[in-house]
Amino acid sequence: MSDGLELDRITKRFGTREAVSGVSLAAKDGEFIVLLGPSGCGKSTLLRTIAGLEAPDEGVIRLAGRDITHREARDRDIAMVFQSYALYPHMSIAENIGYPLKVRKRGQPEIAREVEHVAARLGLTSLLKNLPRQLSGGERQRVALARAIIRRPKAFLMDEPLSNLDARLRVEMRAELKHLQHELRIVTLYVTHDQAEAMTLAHRIAVMRDGRVQQYDTPSNVYHRPANTFVAGFVGSPSMNLIEDPGSNVTLGIRPEDVELSRTEQSGWTQARVYVTEEMGNETLVVLNAGAMRVTARAGAGSLFDFDAPVWFRFRPDKIHRFDRGSSLRLPD
Amino acid sequence: MKTALKYAAAGAALLIAIAPVYWLVTISLKREIDQFAYPPAWFVFEPTLEHYSDAFRGSFTAFFLNSVTLATGSTIAALLVGVPAAYGLARFDWPRNWNENIAGWILSTRMLPPIVTIVPLFLMLREARLLNSLVGLTIVYTAFNLPFVVWMMRGFFDEVPREIEEAAMLDGETAVGVLLRIVLPLVKPGLAATAVFCLIVAWNEFLFALILTQTESAMTLPVGIASRVTQYEIKWGAMSAAGVVAMLPVLIFASVAQRYLVRGLSLGAVKG
Repeated sequence: MSDGLELDRITKRFGTREAVSGVSLAAKDGEFIVLLGPSGCGKSTLLRTIAGLEAPDEGVIRLAGRDITHREARDRDIAMVFQSYALYPHMSIAENIGYPLKVRKRGQPEIAREVEHVAARLGLTSLLKNLPRQLSGGERQRVALARAIIRRPKAFLMDEPLSNLDARLRVEMRAELKHLQHELRIVTLYVTHDQAEAMTLAHRIAVMRDGRVQQYDTPSNVYHRPANTFVAGFVGSPSMNLIEDPGSNVTLGIRPEDVELSRTEQSGWTQARVYVTEEMGNETLVVLNAGAMRVTARAGAGSLFDFDAPVWFRFRPDKIHRFDRGSSLRLPD
Repeated sequence: MKTALKYAAAGAALLIAIAPVYWLVTISLKREIDQFAYPPAWFVFEPTLEHYSDAFRGSFTAFFLNSVTLATGSTIAALLVGVPAAYGLARFDWPRNWNENIAGWILSTRMLPPIVTIVPLFLMLREARLLNSLVGLTIVYTAFNLPFVVWMMRGFFDEVPREIEEAAMLDGETAVGVLLRIVLPLVKPGLAATAVFCLIVAWNEFLFALILTQTESAMTLPVGIASRVTQYEIKWGAMSAAGVVAMLPVLIFASVAQRYLVRGLSLGAVKG
């Protein structure tokens, strides 16, 4: 018996294709879990399986200690926020938010009270009489959230809920979402391909690829101790440099911020030529060519290098990640 | 110049469409002597309502009521059966893509000329003692309209984003509840358009009604009007008056449903 959400070897096939392969995850009550991965990695399918919109071919799903694997979606006590928000176009905002309670046959006065309460919390009070199509994207997003939280479900599922918002609103909503989840303390599974969302929101991140979980750990550990070369390359922007060490069976990984640069020769450093310099404002990315090797380094703001200028670099020795080339798994430090 | 051409073309089309209707209406209002005047009395004649009272003599009212019952009954029946069928075909997972096959078969029943089914239908209805009955004709018309309902409604259901239905399921709604409270309100324009088409088809149908009804008890308007052509005379005035009256319900219904019709027909093209 455990609180929270537990997935035990979930497998989902579409025809012969395995979209989710033996995924096991456990999330404690109140925990914020982010499923992170490229499109087609099975993260959305996994979420839909938990929601009850797809039936798993194998495995068990437990929520708050009860096996819900074969329950109908409506009996799972799970709320979901969709990428498209999926508001009911023919209902007012108040009706949209109150719908989960109406379906549960709660009394009109209670529904009205709860709707008002949730709407006030999400700043929707003035919009309650409108229809969804009269709202902006950010407002619709809030309505979708309000509809999800009004009945205090046992779990929240969110399928790329911020990806239809513009960049600024996305960062704003991200913070709000995090605070809201903290207040509600309801276990949340959040699907995204945006690593910034994953890093900022999650208590733990499950990095997925090809239907399998590559690493399930805290954002800090996913970043600082990636379990394999895929996680190393996927998390972090710009990506970690992955360099095949000639003469051994090891792939070396080094984050751009851990590459030291010098305009003058230093003993023991490697010489390279500047391929391109990218000014980002708060920092500068310098892409180097050293023989067949290409390395991205992160330099301070305003450091400008000419094309083809000679530079010297080295990897901070205590920051080098080592991976087995065959299995691509992280080697013990 | 271009605009003038456009209006000229539209005007010609309108003229071609309106001319028979105009002729029908004027004939129904002309005295018999004016009906056959040569050159025709296009615009100027002495109007009379005698043909209307003539038309309503006899069983005309009964025919009218028969038509109303039959058109509404068969439309409602076709929608009641066809709408859930269309929803099932549009939304549920069928093994081996059978929803496509079933939909194809349903459509294929409309690919043969209706007349080829008349003999078997006649025999079946005779055995069931449903010849000369409104129930029998209602069944036939329902069967006739069903493929149309299934195909049109399936298209409208396909337009409803799945995520809206999934959201409703997670909110606690049953499959039937999703259909009744979420999907149907969203496809209302499509539903209206489909109903109008069914009504018009049933209202205007002549061939089946002619062959499957031989007594006046179940005769519909089109058959009743045609029966004014007798061995001895053709009552042009009464027939025209009856024709005008027969046109009215469809005209009224279509104009009431017009705003739905336009939205319904364009629903497939533009996402709402």
